[in-house]
Amino acid sequence: MRRRSIFFLIPPLVFLLAVGCGGGGEKPITIWEQMDPEERDIFAHHIEVYEQEHPGVLFEVSHYSTDDLRTQFQTAGMAGGGPDLVFGPSDQVGPFSVMQLIQPIDELLTHEELNAFRPDALDTLDGHIWAVPDQLGNHLILVWNSDLISAAPMTLDELIETAKNVTVDENGDGVPERYGLVFNVSEPFWAIPFLTAFGGWIMDSNNKPTLDSPAMVEALQFLKDLRYRYGIMPAECDYELADTMFKEGRAAMIINGPWSWGAYKKAGIHFGLARLPREAKSGRWPAPMVSSKGYSIGNRVKGDRLTLVLDALNSLTSVENQIDFAMQLGTLPSRQAAYADTRIQNDPILRNSLAQVEVGRKMPVITEMRAIWDIMRPAVQSVWNGTLEPAEAARQMQEHAVAKINEMKG
Amino acid sequence: MISTLSKHRFPYLLLLPSLLVILIVVLYPFLYNFWLSLSNMSLYHIHDAHLVGFENYKNILLEPELYVVLAKTAVWTFVNVFFHVGIGIGVAMLLNQSIKGRGVYRALLILPWAMPQYIVALTWRGMFNYQYGSINLLLGKWLHLPPVPWLSNETLAFIAATITNIWLGFPFMMIVALGAMQSIPAELYEAAAIDGASAWRRFRHVTLPMLKPIMVPAVSLGTIWTFNNLNVMWIVTRGGQPSDKSHILVTYVYKAAFTYYRYGYAAAFSVLIFLILLGFVLWYLKTTHALREERR
Repeated sequence: MRRRSIFFLIPPLVFLLAVGCGGGGEKPITIWEQMDPEERDIFAHHIEVYEQEHPGVLFEVSHYSTDDLRTQFQTAGMAGGGPDLVFGPSDQVGPFSVMQLIQPIDELLTHEELNAFRPDALDTLDGHIWAVPDQLGNHLILVWNSDLISAAPMTLDELIETAKNVTVDENGDGVPERYGLVFNVSEPFWAIPFLTAFGGWIMDSNNKPTLDSPAMVEALQFLKDLRYRYGIMPAECDYELADTMFKEGRAAMIINGPWSWGAYKKAGIHFGLARLPREAKSGRWPAPMVSSKGYSIGNRVKGDRLTLVLDALNSLTSVENQIDFAMQLGTLPSRQAAYADTRIQNDPILRNSLAQVEVGRKMPVITEMRAIWDIMRPAVQSVWNGTLEPAEAARQMQEHAVAKINEMKG
Repeated sequence: MISTLSKHRFPYLLLLPSLLVILIVVLYPFLYNFWLSLSNMSLYHIHDAHLVGFENYKNILLEPELYVVLAKTAVWTFVNVFFHVGIGIGVAMLLNQSIKGRGVYRALLILPWAMPQYIVALTWRGMFNYQYGSINLLLGKWLHLPPVPWLSNETLAFIAATITNIWLGFPFMMIVALGAMQSIPAELYEAAAIDGASAWRRFRHVTLPMLKPIMVPAVSLGTIWTFNNLNVMWIVTRGGQPSDKSHILVTYVYKAAFTYYRYGYAAAFSVLIFLILLGFVLWYLKTTHALREERR
């Protein structure tokens, strides 16, 4: 009896083994992405079309939030796993390439293939290109409600005047029901256009932070004035609040990116897009950061599988697919050929979006950017809350950013 | 040992699969984390990480910020658990009376606990908004108070996160306490009433001692959960806002690991957190005699 009783152990062990080994058969191409819901629907359709045209090729797409995608991909990659393709914003290639989790694209594609993309969509880091871009942009732009204002302002002074005129306190309780301007002041990404309008930038050509500059002080002062001097923005204005107020017609202008326009359309808001207005004295255009979104290939993908993955990639980022995304979502294609298409040329949203990209500035993809964002964030917030003077904030940013980058490089 | 093994071979064999699983999913990560904490593993040293001894521990202990965050974590944990238990027992006592619609109240009161923390924290964050949040609107309407800058002041943001977590956490203690109360024999109260004990004395000398064996483990669990509760603090303060000041130890570590990829440093930090919690739980169990076997 005792001898036989050991057989009770067999089922759980078999189960463990079965779970561990997984099934056999043709392995699908795995893609991890961080797309918005609307984007995902269109993407699923593109995948379906490709699967129909290529019997036997299957895809397995997993969705993550931007932050989760980064941490999950790193964890999986370090353990020798992870997907064949990872889709996301260009700055994620910084840590991925440093950790050697992805392959340089320039060694896999021919010159001709690479030249098919807009040069400003290809990001270089350490002399290599690490992602096949699918769309260009991710840039901030001025979105204005055409029911509330008749034309987009041309200068920052006009922006303030226009906003003042439409900031309304209807019931006289001292809190306006409608504001002239809203945007996410708690993220430094939204401060960059103002920094560049006053002639500053976050780092020099050696990737050293240049945050303590007169331009930074001017930009922070400008932000502060929007709240305290002109009163054209709500006191606590994060992304959700800004977005909701614009959707409800309680804000006349918002500074936001391509990802948001679809929802404004859906909310029934009549809006126009315009370049962020220039700084009158210097004549400089604010330069929002411009980046691409694209696919990186996992470092384990080799041989026949690599050929398969590259072919799929070529189709997924085809001109026709990119135009499909552009027409439905307002994203800018990364392939040059797409811009010859009349559908793209005649679309007012895409035209304005491109006009903003032309004066934008490429977002650096180096890993130091994480420290720069993280250090700028509290300083900008403190200026906004009135607990720190712009000059002191700029000084602290520089000091802390240098220290943080050193810590990171350890 | 050997003789027990051979005597109880079958039970041990039955335990073997789960022991293996525990070994793989608990012990291995724990030891790996400890190894990480002694190494310089970071973004730039992924493939060439090597042991650096107690360097990470030294750096952490020498950081003045650690002690500020530690103090905040202690206050956060104490205040939360205090109100979780206080409100939990209070509400449980009300629910333990024979009142009309008890089932409805019970269902309503358990709602905060049944809702996903992420959604609750985001909702509360919206309610704490300076101009449009319902809390300031109600404070203004009912108490005629000026709006409170909940999320843009360091102390107030901390209080906001605490309020959110108290709301989220009391139903658990309520359910535990209610379960314990319902198992207290009614004869004890009857006997106390015959002896002329007041309501307070009945609570003090009957309810509380009978609750203790159940509440002691619940409180130690609650302490560990609250101490390590990343979600609420992280979401309500948007990762430490304003000005990166709203942190408890776990959010601080999370940032080191996942914003800056300082894996060795973060691992050392989590070992320290583990030791702090271990020390607390041992002390707590000892002083409350929770592990003493009942003699009958």
